[in-house]
Amino acid sequence: MAWSFTGLGSRAEVSQQSDPSALPPVDDRLYGHYRAAAGGFDELMQPDGGLRPHWRSFMARLSARSDAELAQAWSATARMLRDNGVTHNVHGDPTGQDRPWRLDPVPLLIDGAEWRQLEQGLIQRARLFNAILSDLYGPQQLLTGGQLPAALVFGSPQFLRPLHGVPVPGQVRLHFIAIDLARRPDGSWQVISDRTHAPIGAGYALETRVVMGRVLPDLFRDCRVERLAGFFQRFSDSLLALLHHAEPRMVMLSPGPAAETYFEHAYLARYLGMPLVEPGDLTVRDRRVFLKTMTGLQPIQLIWRQMHSEACDPLELQSATAQGVPGLVQAVRSGNVVVVNALGSGLVEGDAIMPFLPSLCQQTLGEALLLPEAATWWCGEPAARRFVLANLDRLVLRPTFAPRSILRRDRGPILPARLSAAERAALCARLNTHGEHYVAQEPLLPSSAPCWTDGRLVPRPVVLRAYIAADGQGYQVMPGGLARTLGDGDAPLLLMRQGEASKDAWVLTAGPVSSFSRLAQAEQPAAPRRSGQDLASRAADNLYWLGRYAERSDGAVRLLRSLLLRVTGEVNDDDPVVRATLLQLMVALGHLDKGLARRLTQGGAAAFPGELGRVLFEADAPNGLAPLLGHLRRTASLVRERLSSDAWTCLQALQAQVEAERARPRREVGDALQLLNDLIRLLAALSGMQMEHMTRNLGWRLLDMGRRVERARHLARLMAALVRAGASEAAHLQLLLELADSTMTYRTRYLNEPRPLLAVDLLLVDNSNPRGLSFQLDRLAEHLAALPRPAEQAGLSAEQRVLARLHGKIELADLAKLCEPAGRRPKRDALPVLMAELEAELGVLSDTLAQAYFSHAQPLRKAGPHWGGGAD
Amino acid sequence: MIYEVSHRTRYAYRDPVALSHHLLHLAPRPCAHQQCRRSTLIVDPAPAVSEAGTDYFGNPTTFMIVQQRHRELQVHVRCEIEVRRPPPPAAEASIPWEEAAALVAGDCSRTMLDVYQFTFDSPFTSAGEAAAAYARPSFTPGRPLLEAARELTSRIRQDFIYDQSATDVATPVDEVLRLRRGVCQDFAHLELACLRQLGLPARYVSGYLRTYPAPGKERLVGADASHAWLSLWSPGQGWIDLDPTNDLIPGDEHITLAWGRDYGDVSPITGVILGGGEHKVEVAVDVLPLPA
Repeated sequence: MAWSFTGLGSRAEVSQQSDPSALPPVDDRLYGHYRAAAGGFDELMQPDGGLRPHWRSFMARLSARSDAELAQAWSATARMLRDNGVTHNVHGDPTGQDRPWRLDPVPLLIDGAEWRQLEQGLIQRARLFNAILSDLYGPQQLLTGGQLPAALVFGSPQFLRPLHGVPVPGQVRLHFIAIDLARRPDGSWQVISDRTHAPIGAGYALETRVVMGRVLPDLFRDCRVERLAGFFQRFSDSLLALLHHAEPRMVMLSPGPAAETYFEHAYLARYLGMPLVEPGDLTVRDRRVFLKTMTGLQPIQLIWRQMHSEACDPLELQSATAQGVPGLVQAVRSGNVVVVNALGSGLVEGDAIMPFLPSLCQQTLGEALLLPEAATWWCGEPAARRFVLANLDRLVLRPTFAPRSILRRDRGPILPARLSAAERAALCARLNTHGEHYVAQEPLLPSSAPCWTDGRLVPRPVVLRAYIAADGQGYQVMPGGLARTLGDGDAPLLLMRQGEASKDAWVLTAGPVSSFSRLAQAEQPAAPRRSGQDLASRAADNLYWLGRYAERSDGAVRLLRSLLLRVTGEVNDDDPVVRATLLQLMVALGHLDKGLARRLTQGGAAAFPGELGRVLFEADAPNGLAPLLGHLRRTASLVRERLSSDAWTCLQALQAQVEAERARPRREVGDALQLLNDLIRLLAALSGMQMEHMTRNLGWRLLDMGRRVERARHLARLMAALVRAGASEAAHLQLLLELADSTMTYRTRYLNEPRPLLAVDLLLVDNSNPRGLSFQLDRLAEHLAALPRPAEQAGLSAEQRVLARLHGKIELADLAKLCEPAGRRPKRDALPVLMAELEAELGVLSDTLAQAYFSHAQPLRKAGPHWGGGAD
Repeated sequence: MIYEVSHRTRYAYRDPVALSHHLLHLAPRPCAHQQCRRSTLIVDPAPAVSEAGTDYFGNPTTFMIVQQRHRELQVHVRCEIEVRRPPPPAAEASIPWEEAAALVAGDCSRTMLDVYQFTFDSPFTSAGEAAAAYARPSFTPGRPLLEAARELTSRIRQDFIYDQSATDVATPVDEVLRLRRGVCQDFAHLELACLRQLGLPARYVSGYLRTYPAPGKERLVGADASHAWLSLWSPGQGWIDLDPTNDLIPGDEHITLAWGRDYGDVSPITGVILGGGEHKVEVAVDVLPLPA
């Protein structure tokens, strides 16, 4: 496993001491209208209207920039986030689209000294929750001692009984948690909620920081912002230290691309150098967890879980479906794998435990609790229930076991003050009979912080998510975190709404910024590694199809371009026969609707632009470009962690181009042609990146094999359709060479009108032509020879045998005979037959590959239950 | 009473299964009223991993992994077991049900926590207010717990029709309440939902029932079945089993396999398979009384 830290870590992080006297005067242009709400705390401004000291340097530097400079920086921010594909897939969004992550460009600044204090409280809280979990999944003395009501454990869906009594290494059940904070009107911090399950957002925080560092590099440097890289390095070192294993393997387990925060899983996995896997990639045998790879089963020692505990093992954790990793709990029980955070760690999430934390802290740690939380009452206790009933109107109620997060929509808050008399009576009755289902809290007015709105700073309520991670000895806090601004609304509701945008949080330090150091690693002997030999079978499958879709898109775009070129008259001899052949071919290849092709044939040149425009741009045209590019992008998103950010940007641009073009009110044929040329360029760039920038590992081979198979199939179809005798022979061959991107090669060689024999030789036999069929087969042969296979296998693999047949068919082909016109008929029979055979063999090759390397794709099922019986 | 129980489960798969994981709750749990003299488990094909353990509720379990390709899996358990239950306590001697609920909630000793944990809804017993409403007519103020529970058991027997085709493992208990139909697991879950809504601790029991051939007929081998009922905690009287399917308090004809919050905790065989396609399950249970 490679421990490379891309992004933050690789950049030299040297702090520059800036001279305070060089500070430009603060111009109040940006905040002249800034008025914090009365009664609240404002992050930027003191009650007297002056800037808080730790904001002065930042504000001075910000206001030294012109409005135009700022506007440019902010639009760069938005563009970078979009280009990097930072998305948040919102379920319930009817269009199923990934929503871009919204970033407010003005960071939340936190004074270093204040942060140090906050850190103590956060670390204590992590230790406290870990201690509580250790007890609840162990002796449960907190229950027998009466420190925590047993109902909060036994009634919780997060108390996973199969994990009770299962030891964890070093007594650490929590390795990475988040705590949501808000600042009270008096300026002190308080906890809103604790996320101990599998907290989200750290990857977004990281990406946000990278973007901010690029957009405001000098500001970022001059303000002496504490860096994040060390935090992640220490965390991953601490995970390695848990394993005591010579060659530890860690994976990040994600539910897959449908997950709301899949972007972040892919991002963090790449950042930490962990393979990103889905449940189906893992298998438990002999009580050990393995990753299914192309080279066989690879043992896994640690899983960083980004999914719900309950969904992790369908055998023991009572999930309704069969999804997950059956046997995982048994592997954990046997001590063969560490899950981070430990399965069942969500038990201590939620507001209901809050009122008990001060005494739990005394009991388990022997310390006073440092960080306060909002005043909270769990209505399962008679005294709390009485208080809540007496003060109903000024409280907010929530279900006991519905944890809250500043990053998600709040589920089911109840505002008694807004209920009708009948609803209120029902609530009171329910509180009396089933108070244990409710938690009541005092609403909170969080502090406001400056947000960029319409060219100036405006105060908006802000909350902060802090991340706390294991560091080997205990816990450490990410210096910064993810701030969220809340939308406009009335004060008591603020904390119940989804945040409007996120913000970077900068912890400012007075001293030098600790630059990232890898000294700790230098003590270990350096052992070079080759990455990518443990490619998960699922990823292999997806990469192969990514190659195929990329090539298929290229083929489709070239066909469309050829068609348009003939329509616009850019090809001199627009032969109606050739055009008809082209339309037929496009129908046969599924790139054109039959009816449309007929109308285009009948309508002549005049009908082309409008009708074709539809095919090109409409999102719902079944044979159009949009679905094809959609396939490409979706497949790419499945292996996103393996693509470079440049490649991803290229893919994003492909779709953006088509969407931009679709949005144009009026379009000319020329615009469409321009778009097709752009798409061909982008696809070529993608392919170039693949050739020049990808490590030559199995992943690259699979991607390239997909391309080669697709290109060879496409060529076979083209040749079968376009090598035909008759009056239009030369024009057809010209089109063939154009579509096969071999026009220039042909011209430089032969300087004459295309002739069948020569064209077929160039595209079928000549293995020096990178667009020719033989060339594709040669590359495939190289790849197949390099694929892993069972040691005991002698001779050629099944795939290699298919390829040998393909090679043989071409080598044995008699070109002269193939290109000889068959009587007076315009078609050459022998050639289409051969091409059909080649195409069929390529299909067999693809299937054989899938069987040998991707066959993991079988679904898991639950074996039939015992239901019924015991008749009376 | 001494029984020899044979429980054979056969899975037939359309496509080969590459890998399967199973968790078995098939070894009778030793407890005060029953003693397992012998229990053997035969699995074919032989599992690569087969590990005996004990679950959170103290039930014996077997965890197994079959790692060889197979189209058919047989799990066969045979055991010899002795059941001697004391006669049920007098229903009218139990304390008022409200007092019982309060007593359980107010005691955090280890013993009582182990009882208290069964007062909470679990995945198969979440029926909410509907279950409480169904239970209430039997639980009149101050009524002795067991008397009320005994009546509730009878009402379920009267109000509900035993119907193998009405429900399956995915039918929620509030749906059962609406349909007024179901099988033994459904009725056990329903009564659990009712009792827990009232704050009373009750657990699910999985096991077997001795059956009798129809008059004049031979005893049919393998025609018996798995059974499910529940057990209610009555302060001072302990756990009292109740069988709503048959409207009785189990005696020596009910053999206990395991108990938990609901079916999900103690399903006789839970299995997750890779591959397999469509499959059929055949279960043959034979409860043979042995001469003492």
